[in-house]
Amino acid sequence: MKNAQSKNKPNAIRQFLSSVKLAIVLLILLAIVSIVGTVIPQGQGAVEFAKTLSPAMFRFLSTLQLFDMYNAPWFRLLIAFLSLNLVVCSINRFPSTWKRFSAKPAPDRSKPFENDSMEDFLEVSVNGDKASKRVEKILRSNYKNVRQKTSDGNHYFYGNKGRFSYFGVYVVHLSVLLILVGGLVGSFFGFEAYVNILEGEKTDRVIIRKTMRPLNLGFEVRCDKFSVDFYKTGTPREFKSNLTFLVNGKDVRTNDLLVNHPVEFGGITFYQASYGSVAGKEARLRIDKKSNKPVSSEKTVKNNISYPFPGGEGTYQVIDMRSDIMHLGPAVLISIQPKIGKPLEFWVFKNHDAVQKKLPPPMLASPKFNPEAFSPYRFSLTGLETVYYTGLQANRDPGVPIVWAGCFLMVSGLFVTFFMSHKRVWVRVLTRRTKTRIEVAGTTNKNPVGLQSERHKLISSLKNEFGKKD
Amino acid sequence: MDSSQILSYTTFVYFGAFMTYLLGMVMNRAVLSRLGTYLSLLGFTAQTLAIIFRWVESYKMGIGHAPLSNLYESLVFFSWTLMLLYLILEWRTKNRIIGPFVTPLVFLAMAYASFSPNISSQIQPLIPALKSNWLISHVITCFFAYAAFALSLGISIMYLLKRLDTVKKNNLFLRLIPSTAILDDLNYQMIVIGFLMLTLGIITGSVWAHSAWGTYWSWDPKETWSLITWLIYASVIHARLVRGWKGKRIAILSIVGFACVLFTYFGVNYLAGLHSYAKK
Ligand code: HEM
Repeated sequence: MKNAQSKNKPNAIRQFLSSVKLAIVLLILLAIVSIVGTVIPQGQGAVEFAKTLSPAMFRFLSTLQLFDMYNAPWFRLLIAFLSLNLVVCSINRFPSTWKRFSAKPAPDRSKPFENDSMEDFLEVSVNGDKASKRVEKILRSNYKNVRQKTSDGNHYFYGNKGRFSYFGVYVVHLSVLLILVGGLVGSFFGFEAYVNILEGEKTDRVIIRKTMRPLNLGFEVRCDKFSVDFYKTGTPREFKSNLTFLVNGKDVRTNDLLVNHPVEFGGITFYQASYGSVAGKEARLRIDKKSNKPVSSEKTVKNNISYPFPGGEGTYQVIDMRSDIMHLGPAVLISIQPKIGKPLEFWVFKNHDAVQKKLPPPMLASPKFNPEAFSPYRFSLTGLETVYYTGLQANRDPGVPIVWAGCFLMVSGLFVTFFMSHKRVWVRVLTRRTKTRIEVAGTTNKNPVGLQSERHKLISSLKNEFGKKD
Repeated sequence: MDSSQILSYTTFVYFGAFMTYLLGMVMNRAVLSRLGTYLSLLGFTAQTLAIIFRWVESYKMGIGHAPLSNLYESLVFFSWTLMLLYLILEWRTKNRIIGPFVTPLVFLAMAYASFSPNISSQIQPLIPALKSNWLISHVITCFFAYAAFALSLGISIMYLLKRLDTVKKNNLFLRLIPSTAILDDLNYQMIVIGFLMLTLGIITGSVWAHSAWGTYWSWDPKETWSLITWLIYASVIHARLVRGWKGKRIAILSIVGFACVLFTYFGVNYLAGLHSYAKK
C-alpha cells in the first residue's frame, strides 16, 4: 500500500500514529511486557511470591502494578495505543486501497506485455473479429469486469480476479479490534463465579471470584446426582452432575453437566469444574469389648443419636463426621456419656493403623485420639457414608460471541491476505496478414507464481477453444 | 515390538538422514543428498506407522485417545509434522539443501522424546478436561505452526550463512545455498503459514479452555507465551512492509520467534500454570 497522503500536507501526529514502524514497536513492546507478566506471578500466585521479596522490591513492583499487570491501566493504555494505531492506519490507507480496488485499467495497455516472456501467445487462422468473440466468451466465464476495446482491427481485453483480496488485511485488522472489544465487554458486563452443591441439595446463589461476594441467580440449581468413575490407576475418567434448574420452585429443565460440556441457563453458563466429598449422616462402627469372653458387635449409627453400650455402662453417640480430617482420611468424633464418671470425646479414624504411623507422638499419647479411651471398649470405624458435592463454575460473558466473531474474521482475513491475490490479465487479439495472433499478459499485487499458473491456465483454455494442442 | 520401540529406531534413521544430507552438502555429492531423502522417507513412514500403532494400542488398553496427550507424544508429533512439512518443501522446491538445516531438529526432538530419563513413553489415561476435539485441533494446529516456524528458523540460518558467503566469497558448500532473495521469500512463506496455524492454534485452544474452564483467556503462562510468539511473528510480517527491514532483520526476528516457540513449548513448564499436563 502506498501512502495515501499526497494532497494535504502530512500531519505529523497522524503520520506517526499511522506508521507501521510504530505498530512493530508496539507489538514487540507488548511481547516484552507480557514476558514480565509470566515471570512475576500474577493474581493469586502473587501473594506467595510477594512474601519472598524484600520490602523495597515489593514496593517497587507494586508501584509499577506488576502483580496484576494485565489489568493495570498502563497495560490497557498500551493496547489502546495499538488500537489507535490500527484505526488511524486503516483510515489513512483506505482511500488508496479503494482506488486500486475500483481501478479500471485500459484494455489496450501495452506495459504488461513488455515484462512478459513472449511464450504466452498462440496463432490461429480464424479471422480477428470471430476470434475475439470466442476469446471474450472464455474471458467472461473466468474473470470479472471484462472490458474490451477495438482499434485498427485489433481487439483488446482486460479482466481480473480476486480484487476483493485487498480488503483481507482490513478484515484482519478489524478482527483484532473486535476481539479487544469483546474482551472489554466481558470485563464490564460479565462475571466469573463458583458454587459447590451437595448431591441432593439446591442453591440460588454463587460466589463471584473477584470480589468473593455472593450473587443471587434469580433461579435455583439442584444437583440431583453426582457421579464419577475412575481409571484403574485411580485418576478420574469422567465426572458428571445431573442438574435441575428451578424457577419459582418449579423444575424447568434437567441437564447432564460434564467436563468440557457446559450447560447454559438463564444467561449463565455452568461448567463442571471440580468435585469433592463430605461425610453424610451415617457411620458404621465396630465395638470390641475386651474381657475374658471378648464381645464384638458392628452397627450402623446415625449422627447425633445416642446408643447404649451392650453392658449398660452408659451411652455413646457420633457427634461429628468428617470425610477427611487433616489429610488423614475419614474420621468420626465419638462422645461418651458413662453412667459413672466424666463424659469424654475422642476421634476414631477409619485407617487407624496407617494413621498411628503418621501422628506425632504428643497426639498419639492424647486420649483425644485413642479409640480405647473408654476401656474396656475399643471403637473402630469401618464405614462412613459420604456425599459428593459438585463444584460448578458459573459465568456470564456477553463478550464471548464478539470474540468468536473476531476469531472467525481473523482466520478468514488471514487466509484471504496470505493466499489470495488480485490477478489482472490483458489479452490482445492482433490481426496479422494471414493469421490472428492472441497474446496474454498479466500483473498481480503479490504471488507471482500464482499469476504464472493463472496465465498458463488461460492460455491452455484458449488453445482448447481454438483446437490447438498444448 | 511396541510403538515406542519403533520410534526409538526412527530416531537413528533420522540421524542417518541428517548426516547424509550434511555430507552431501559439504562434499557436494548429489548421491548422498538423495540418500538423505530416502532415509527421511523411511523414517517418516516408520514414524507414521508407529503413531498409528500407538493409537490402536491405547484403544486396546481401554483408554483410547489420539496420541497427542503428553510430552512424549507431543515431541513425536512435532518431529512428524516437521518432517512432513520439510518433505513437502523439498518436493516443491526440488532442492535438498534445506535438509541439513532442518533434519537435526527432527532428530533432536525424537532423541529427546526417546532417550530423556524425564520423559515417560507410557500411554497414559486422559483426565476429563483433556477429552475434547477442540484440544486435538489445538494440538495439531499448534504443532504445524511450530513446524513451519522451525523451517523458517532453518532457512533464516541459511540466509545468515549465505550473507557471510557474499561477504567472504567462494566458500565451497555455501555456494549450493540458493540466493538470499529466494531464501527471504521462502522464509516469509513459512512464517505466513506458521502464523496462520498459530492463530488457529490459539483460537482452538481458547475455545477448548472456554468449554472446559469457562474462560477463553486467563493469561496463564503457556497462553501468554503463545501470544508473545504470535506478537513476534506479527511484527515480522509488518517488518516486511517497512523498507530496509528485509532479509537480515527478518532472519534474526525469525530466530527470536523460534526461541519463543521453544520457550512456549518447554520453558513454560518451569513457570506454573494450567497446562501442567505438559510436565510429564
Ligand atoms: C495484532 C495486531 C495485528 C495483526 C494480527 C496484523 C496482521 C496483519 C497481516 C496479516 C497483514 C498482511 C501482511 C501481508 O500482506 O502479507 C498486515 C498488514 C498490514 N498491517 Fe497489520 N496487523 C496488526 C496490527 C497492525 C497495526 C497496529 C498497524 C498500524 C499501523 C498495522 C498496519 C498494517 C499495514 C499498513 C499493513 C499492510 C497492508 C497492505 O499491505 O495492504 N497492523 N497486518
